[in-house]
Amino acid sequence: MIIVNTQEHPWHEGMTVQVLLDEKGYIFRHIIVRVNDEYVAEEDWARRMIRDGDDVVVLHLTAGG
Amino acid sequence: MELERYRRNLPEISPAQQDVLAEKHVLIVGCGGLGGYIIEALARAGAGHLRLMDGDTFKESDLNRQLLASSMNLGRPKTLAARQRVLAVNSLVEVEESPYFLSVENAAEALAGCHLAIDALDNVPSRLLLAEACAKAGLPMLHGAVGAWYGQAALLPPGSKLLERVYPAHCRGLESAEKMAMLAPVVMQVAALQASLALRFLLGDEQPADLLWHLDMERGSLEKISF
Repeated sequence: MIIVNTQEHPWHEGMTVQVLLDEKGYIFRHIIVRVNDEYVAEEDWARRMIRDGDDVVVLHLTAGG
Repeated sequence: MELERYRRNLPEISPAQQDVLAEKHVLIVGCGGLGGYIIEALARAGAGHLRLMDGDTFKESDLNRQLLASSMNLGRPKTLAARQRVLAVNSLVEVEESPYFLSVENAAEALAGCHLAIDALDNVPSRLLLAEACAKAGLPMLHGAVGAWYGQAALLPPGSKLLERVYPAHCRGLESAEKMAMLAPVVMQVAALQASLALRFLLGDEQPADLLWHLDMERGSLEKISF
């Protein structure tokens, strides 16, 4: 099990950041991802592995007012 | 206290708290989407002194979401329309217009005498500028931002680095409200969240620092994230 934005989410072998984003349906074009307080750049999403127990924050980044 | 005007604030806002609220000075930076609804909520609740800052005028593309944008107000300064609206709904509120965009030169003066600064801006650099000015002035800042089906809000203690974490350097060129979809109901929700947090802060509620409220109306969630 991992935590995604304070909620539990099932973990499985081979889970990368990109796999997780796909599972959650996060398709917004401005997203930032932090895994255990470490930012993961977009170019690394496909290879950065998520480990069981990780704490992931996914923000849909907005700047309008 | 004007008992009848504020009767439906009871019992959540007591008469004594209403008097406290009447003494508070709040700077709202940005009088467009978020700002318009925040100003409306604070004025109706009875926040006593509102300083409204925005150098912009209303244009046709504001009509889809901004409370104060109307056919009659096109081309008019946003601060002027906001001031007239406040006085129409609650003449007890003292309103000060500052029809300028926030800048390094005017930030300190804009914050002078305030208890809280509210970020209703539409771009990252101005938010970081406001945060820096609030740190220097020792003032809390209530951040809010919105785009598409998403939004966020956070009460930042003076000197908080939350915005620098939320907007890492490579994201600071993020497209502004000019390009990202801005939907009225999502703008209203983020503004309502900011206004609620502002009222609770002004009434003395202790709130955890650097907690980011993250709204996702694509999936229908509101999360409080330690960031």
